[in-house]
Amino acid sequence: MNAESVYTIVDDLGALLLFTMILIIAAGQIYRAIYAVAAQSLLIAIAGGVLAMATGNVDLWVIAGVTLGVKAIALPWVLLWVVRRMNVRREVEPVIPVAATLALAVMVVVMSFHLSTSLGPVRQAITGNALPVGIALTLLGVLVMATRKTALHQMVGLFASENGIFFTAMAVTQGMPLIIEIGVILDVILAALVMAIMVLRVRSTVDADIASLDRLRG
Amino acid sequence: MISLPPDQELLLTGTLLMAACYGAGALSSLLALWSGRLALGTGHLAALAGAVAGLGVSLGVLLGDPGRTLTQPLPDLFPFARLSLAVDGLSAYFLLVISVVAVAAAIYGPAYLRAHSPDAGAARQGAQVFALNAFLGCMVFVCSAGDALTFLLCWEGMTLASYVLVVTDDRDGKNARAGLLYLVMTHGGTALLLVGFLVLTERAGAFDFAALRAAAGGLDGATRTTLFFLALAGFATKAGVVPLHVWLPRAHPAAPSHVSALMSGVMLKAAIYGMLRFGFDLLAPVAGPLPASWGWTVLVAGTISAVLGVLYALQQHDLKRLLAFHSVENIGIILIGVGLAMILWRAEGAGGALATVALTAALLHTVNHAAFKGLLFLGAGSVLCRTHIRNIEELGGLARRMPWTAGLFLLGAIAISALPPLNGFVSEWLTFQALLGGASRFHGAAGLGIVFSAAMLALTGGLAAACFAKAFGVTFLGRARTPQAERATEAPPSMIAGMVWLGALCVALGVAPGYAMRLLDAPTVALLGGPGASAVVTAQGPLVLSTALTLPGTDATAISMTMVAALLIALTAMAWVLRRGAWNAAPRTVPTWTCGMSPTARFDYTATAFAKPLRFVFAALYRPRREVTRETAGTPYVVRRIHYAGEIVDLSETQIYHRVERGISRLSRAIRGRSTGRIYGYIGFVLGALFVALLLFGVGQG
Repeated sequence: MNAESVYTIVDDLGALLLFTMILIIAAGQIYRAIYAVAAQSLLIAIAGGVLAMATGNVDLWVIAGVTLGVKAIALPWVLLWVVRRMNVRREVEPVIPVAATLALAVMVVVMSFHLSTSLGPVRQAITGNALPVGIALTLLGVLVMATRKTALHQMVGLFASENGIFFTAMAVTQGMPLIIEIGVILDVILAALVMAIMVLRVRSTVDADIASLDRLRG
Repeated sequence: MISLPPDQELLLTGTLLMAACYGAGALSSLLALWSGRLALGTGHLAALAGAVAGLGVSLGVLLGDPGRTLTQPLPDLFPFARLSLAVDGLSAYFLLVISVVAVAAAIYGPAYLRAHSPDAGAARQGAQVFALNAFLGCMVFVCSAGDALTFLLCWEGMTLASYVLVVTDDRDGKNARAGLLYLVMTHGGTALLLVGFLVLTERAGAFDFAALRAAAGGLDGATRTTLFFLALAGFATKAGVVPLHVWLPRAHPAAPSHVSALMSGVMLKAAIYGMLRFGFDLLAPVAGPLPASWGWTVLVAGTISAVLGVLYALQQHDLKRLLAFHSVENIGIILIGVGLAMILWRAEGAGGALATVALTAALLHTVNHAAFKGLLFLGAGSVLCRTHIRNIEELGGLARRMPWTAGLFLLGAIAISALPPLNGFVSEWLTFQALLGGASRFHGAAGLGIVFSAAMLALTGGLAAACFAKAFGVTFLGRARTPQAERATEAPPSMIAGMVWLGALCVALGVAPGYAMRLLDAPTVALLGGPGASAVVTAQGPLVLSTALTLPGTDATAISMTMVAALLIALTAMAWVLRRGAWNAAPRTVPTWTCGMSPTARFDYTATAFAKPLRFVFAALYRPRREVTRETAGTPYVVRRIHYAGEIVDLSETQIYHRVERGISRLSRAIRGRSTGRIYGYIGFVLGALFVALLLFGVGQG
């Protein structure tokens, strides 16, 4: 596989990633958002595999495998399990209307592309649009966290943001050192566990959502 | 590895063996799953083996030709930095200091932990063994690190492991609070160090010390001085220099006693090592003297620490807390020597002889303090594990029940009070010589400042003697004041053995210090580049100490500790013989006359009473507060009970820390009033800030 076609594939994957991000933002129900983020993780894993094949970097295979196993399969499953346990199929509760969020998202994407043109030295290291896509994914993930009230949805946003960081790292430096990637993955797993425990505990003891925790301030 | 001479190879093997021993000791904590006792024994045995290996390595480097550095690359843990060990003269000297006390602590530890807390669970014992070995290992590698990253990692490991040891023995939450304060203060210090190191590594583009040294060569004066003061503040926090000492008298007594000995005797020295490494090695200008502000700051800080440390120690009645305050004092004395060496280095015509004397005094006091403070903490531990009392007012009369402990504690007390013929005297004498020699070099305010520092050092020595007269007298002499003190028995033999090792060192370093100068050659030559310690201090033979200041018009002062010791022994023997000969009548033993009442232990001199005159003299510093309540039976003439409560304040605590604390509380109350508590709101703030930062960056680049 020559470098040209690799970057074409990565660019295409980037477009698909942005599409899944829009799905996450626009999802009306929580489980749809979870499926979308799982698909996004799958795409990241594929991108890792492609880069691994092109560069022959063994670490990237490991990272792709871990991403597939943890972020595309295990964590979405945990989130869905929590959703089932809570037995809610209710609508997403946005802080601002979904349409406004989408408009903001468009702005973020445009800004990311604009910004990456000014990152001269970094731009030279890679071709294609992987860098702006990565930045956009990261920021949009945070945007999802900022515009949703429930802990589950914020978790989805965190995963998406994480995916963005992964994608940026893979595209720019052909992957961070394995030990750091593994550390990041462990962080995400821990966050998911804490979230799941918090959500279920708070619900089972006081019958309230995490969003009501703002009443606890001193 | 191939081209190394065989002795280098051997020393490297020794270093790795030391690491392996501490690692094995840490792992042996897993034996606690099976038996806590076994884990204690194995873990301390491994620590002992590691300490002996450390002794071997350090002596090998120190007695080899000076100026040589032993290096060993470590496996790559991080893609961006190469880790390595580098043992030069200075590192080897501090390795020696650590290993000397570690030997005693490892011998002393198991029996102490069993005797002090027989009800401790296996989990706690496992944790203690693990933390002890990690603590020792990290300390050793702080001193032999060859790059900034290894240094910082081990520095942090040292802090965390000692924190675990401080809080393992928590009964009433007090130790946990002490540990928290310790952790907060030392992390603040580490943050300053981190900034200092990162500025250097940023310029160097690498982490190893050689690259940092090269990068520091190109710094301008202001940056260099700023970096030095950052590092100095970081290390001073760890060393417990006034006013950064507040954690020390709380955290050190809270740890098990052999760990207190290590923390007070050795861990503070790791900070001294860092100061020397930064001041004389990494940040020093390529040529010419160090900036004047460095040495003077260190000298002033050292003088203040020495005086305030001993003054606060005088008013403590908790035996281990008293010893901890004495560590503040002794760090001050070491810093006086270090500061003077910084002032004099490359600044005088006499070939740097006086700077060498000052640094020799500081380094010698480092090992001396490690020996006698270790001994005193171990002695305090023996008392503690038999009586479970730390307040000396409730002890008394222990000399008859614990003769070995009492004798060894007295030895340590004489040494720390800087009385001949023990080791404390030697290093304080050298410090005096350096100070007086330095004072004759400077005129005007500078000379006066140095003379003032010498006067303060003399005051410190006198107050320390008063303090230990109190501590020893009230604890070991007189009558037992509580049933616990009455029931005390002698400590187990292995604990005595640990103390005897340190006591023997105190005597050896006191009586024949000339031989120790050979060990000080390598660090002084490595740091100062001038003549070695033995060339300056023992120029007239190993049994005579002199400050061979071969300047025209100045006489070298000389003293022979061996002669002093022989003279003292002869005088004692003569006095004994004369007394026997002159006094033939058989002595009569009768009870003390106490106005017709039967004497009780309450009649003895108390520690509070002993320290009262000094409390009056220094009332401005102590701000003493006393409260006497009388309980009378109907009429004021019949007093049933009198209750006395007195306390003194630590000025830096009330004047600095309490104000900071109030400021932070006010600020956080103000923030709390404005916070919404909505998580998505906070995330929105983060997003906005990130976005603005990226935009600004884009504008800046574009």
